[in-house]
Amino acid sequence: MTNEQKQTLMRERAAALMKDGAVSYVIGWRETRFPGKTAIFFVRDEKDADMLVWDEYTIPLTAKYLTENRWPDKKIGIFARGCDSKAINRLISDNQVERENLYIIGLPCEGKKDDRCLSCTQRDPLIYDELLWEPENATGTSETDLQRARFFRAEEVESLPTDARFAHWEDVYARCIRCYACRNVCPVCTCRECYVDMHRTGFQGKHHDAAENRVFGVTRAFHVGDRCIECGECERVCPMGLPILGQTQKIIKTIEGLAGTYEAGMDPEADSFLGKFDLDDKDTFM
Amino acid sequence: MALSNKTGVFICHCGTNIAGALDVHKVVDASRALPGVAYAADYKYLCSEPGQQLILDAIKEHGLKRIVIASCSPRMHEITFRKMLKKSNINEYLLEIANIREQASWVHTDFDKATEKAIDLVRMAVAKVGKSEPLKAQAIPITKRALVIGGGIAGIQAALDIADAGHEVVLVERECSIGGRMVMLDKTFPTLDCSACISTPKMVDVSAHPNITLMTSSEVEEVQGYIGNFKVKVRKKATYVNHDICTGCGLCEEKCPFKVESDFDRGLSKRPAIYKLFPQAVPAKPVIDKDACVKLKTGKCGVCLKICPLNCIDYEDEDKTVELDIGAIVVATGYKPAKWQSMYNEYGAGRFEDVIDGLQFERLVNASGPTEGKIKRPSDGKEPETVVIVKCVGSRDPKKGHAYCSRACCMYAAKHAHQILEKLPGGRVFIFYIDIRTPGKGYEEFYDNTRKDGAVYVRGRISRIFREGDTLVCQGEDSLLGRQVRINADLVVLETAMEPAEGSADVLNMLGCAKNDDGWAQEAHPKLRPVETQVGGVFLAGVCQGPKDIPDTVAQASASAAKVIGLLNKDEMETSPMIAAVAADKCSGCGACEPICPYTAITLEKTPDREPGTGKKIERSVANVNAGLCQGCGACTVACRTGAIDLLGFRNTQILQEVDALWQ
Repeated sequence: MTNEQKQTLMRERAAALMKDGAVSYVIGWRETRFPGKTAIFFVRDEKDADMLVWDEYTIPLTAKYLTENRWPDKKIGIFARGCDSKAINRLISDNQVERENLYIIGLPCEGKKDDRCLSCTQRDPLIYDELLWEPENATGTSETDLQRARFFRAEEVESLPTDARFAHWEDVYARCIRCYACRNVCPVCTCRECYVDMHRTGFQGKHHDAAENRVFGVTRAFHVGDRCIECGECERVCPMGLPILGQTQKIIKTIEGLAGTYEAGMDPEADSFLGKFDLDDKDTFM
Repeated sequence: MALSNKTGVFICHCGTNIAGALDVHKVVDASRALPGVAYAADYKYLCSEPGQQLILDAIKEHGLKRIVIASCSPRMHEITFRKMLKKSNINEYLLEIANIREQASWVHTDFDKATEKAIDLVRMAVAKVGKSEPLKAQAIPITKRALVIGGGIAGIQAALDIADAGHEVVLVERECSIGGRMVMLDKTFPTLDCSACISTPKMVDVSAHPNITLMTSSEVEEVQGYIGNFKVKVRKKATYVNHDICTGCGLCEEKCPFKVESDFDRGLSKRPAIYKLFPQAVPAKPVIDKDACVKLKTGKCGVCLKICPLNCIDYEDEDKTVELDIGAIVVATGYKPAKWQSMYNEYGAGRFEDVIDGLQFERLVNASGPTEGKIKRPSDGKEPETVVIVKCVGSRDPKKGHAYCSRACCMYAAKHAHQILEKLPGGRVFIFYIDIRTPGKGYEEFYDNTRKDGAVYVRGRISRIFREGDTLVCQGEDSLLGRQVRINADLVVLETAMEPAEGSADVLNMLGCAKNDDGWAQEAHPKLRPVETQVGGVFLAGVCQGPKDIPDTVAQASASAAKVIGLLNKDEMETSPMIAAVAADKCSGCGACEPICPYTAITLEKTPDREPGTGKKIERSVANVNAGLCQGCGACTVACRTGAIDLLGFRNTQILQEVDALWQ
């Protein structure tokens, strides 16, 4: 099936859902005035469904936009690829959205024109109400099929000598402008109030310097922690082009080393790896 | 309410403990210059009565509002000084201790640097106390009923002591009789009094005590709640005999046609499918072993029903669950002997009938045992002439068994040797040992007498046991002579290690109590709180906490009972106000705090709210802390990414002030 045929299916399905009144809107993608860039689009009217697109540039994650309407009167329609479905699972386990409020249209993904898709482990949606088309020869679903190592960014840093690693992060956070785009786009950053904005408590100063930036970088990585679904949105939206996925990847990679296999967002019922009190915890790292 | 920051700083010399290792006066001067400090002074011993008076006078004279005391660890005297503040108009939680003893004077040799560090510690404490808020202890009611889990000698002693003090006790035992391991023993070292003779009267006391509810054939299934207010579910297993009517006449036991190996006799005899654990069992009424009863398995038999003159047998009996309100819990789950067969292949791994463990020997030598106290070897019933006793089987052997010493084996090995030499004239006993440990009243004397009786102690381990004809050849090393030895034995007794009882891990997990790597229950402090656990209202008695002998077990059980009585004597108790508190407006309901709480004190609760922006009425999940369960450990405050959950007395703002102060 060509992308164009898939796009037609999506437009028809969104229009039908809106016509039936089954959902209040459908979250998908549309073109922007920049070639090769798409934007998230809410189909709020049947006739706008034709603005939906599906091509190699429909990269942004749809799932985070569910948090804009946590108590909907009607179901929300959402197009979801593998990555989006992991994010939806995460939002469900973090109690940020409720499954029954969603109508998920699953889209098996063929991989987009984006570096991060080369190490995608989950192209087919995990959770959906309907699949719009059958998965075709989905690659990249097992680790050996990956076109690039799953933890490529973490391994880039690991390949450096220890001193150079610190210098690397010093350099990264000297350039960070603390716009918090990484936080805003992240599907697991769902606090009502982010710690960076609590100036009176004093976690994070307003000063713009490398030291404060580094505190932010480390804290963000640990707040995401074992919940990172490895979608790479943080890196995609960084206006400074900083390779910050390395930090969260490193955490998941370490957990994988401890647990055998580990991937967040695969199951909304899964226990937290780092955040569960367990009397039989081996504490091997202590 | 905005509170003034007029802080008073008091520096303690602790004799020369602090003043000898750093410049106290310099610390006083530096304290005076700190922001918010209105007064600073020093004294030789602030914890003394004149020391406390000095602080109280200064509070009055200078109108102080917050107090910093630079002294020893808060573990030592924080409570002392909080009590002192009750005599002033300052809330006792507007107090900070700067630990300049354990963290400065005791650990540094450089006078100037120790002084510098003490000043830093005071500066941090002053910064933190500036953000402290008054806290008030809450009172929670106490259910005046104790639960004792396990009916061995530890559980029996604890239950009797608590009941004698006038409190209700529920004693839960999973076997069909109380008594535990102690009633299986023959004589007890070092006085050689008969174990059953001294323990059965206590068992009868339990069953006759008006304050004790005895639940045998029962297991604790679920524990919820917190100190003073536990909700416990106990499953009463089906016994198929109506104990309300049964008189324990024993006819059914005599007539039952099906026999299985007796656990009580450690497999050395058979018992019927309807049985009492032993003749003096309490309660003295039989139960049906559903795995052995042919009637229950196939429906064919029913002899016991026919023979019972009172019609007590009920094949339709079912498990029942009883719910109890409990104020305090004593864990007395005891031990099991290690399964040496899977650890020591070289001892035959159970293939030789005449290699037995110490508890089997106790049954052999016991007048009420399968041989009526005659020492006969299991294979052919012959009296053995040469007996080899091997100690530390599974103990002190980290490669094959456990690293720990099981503590009682040295003494009961000596007792076994004594009994063999007494009962078998002309008999010989060889005891293989690593060390002899006899730290107890009369223990060394007993061991000495055993040697005088003729027991031969050989230092070394047995490396192999094999059969030649009808003798067991024990090969080993005498490490004092540096020579291989070979003894032809008729009987070998292995003094096996103690291990936590089957299922004790489940009980501890249910209660939220920690255990060490070997599975023994973890006490709150190894020296100063030996019978408490980290869980409020849960206490330990006996071997469940670690291997010990009967005197120590009984002493610990009484200690545990004393703690329970102290708790149940109160109508209500104050809980520490230093617990987690949730800022509902910040809480996103993500629930990260819930699974990380070791005390299951946090639950998510649906809370009515309005949607930001639209004002629509909604319900959202918000974390809720149970003040009775929360122990103030702070795990949740770290898990909460938004800082919506804070530990009172250790709020994020306070900690951040402390950190900032360090860099000023």
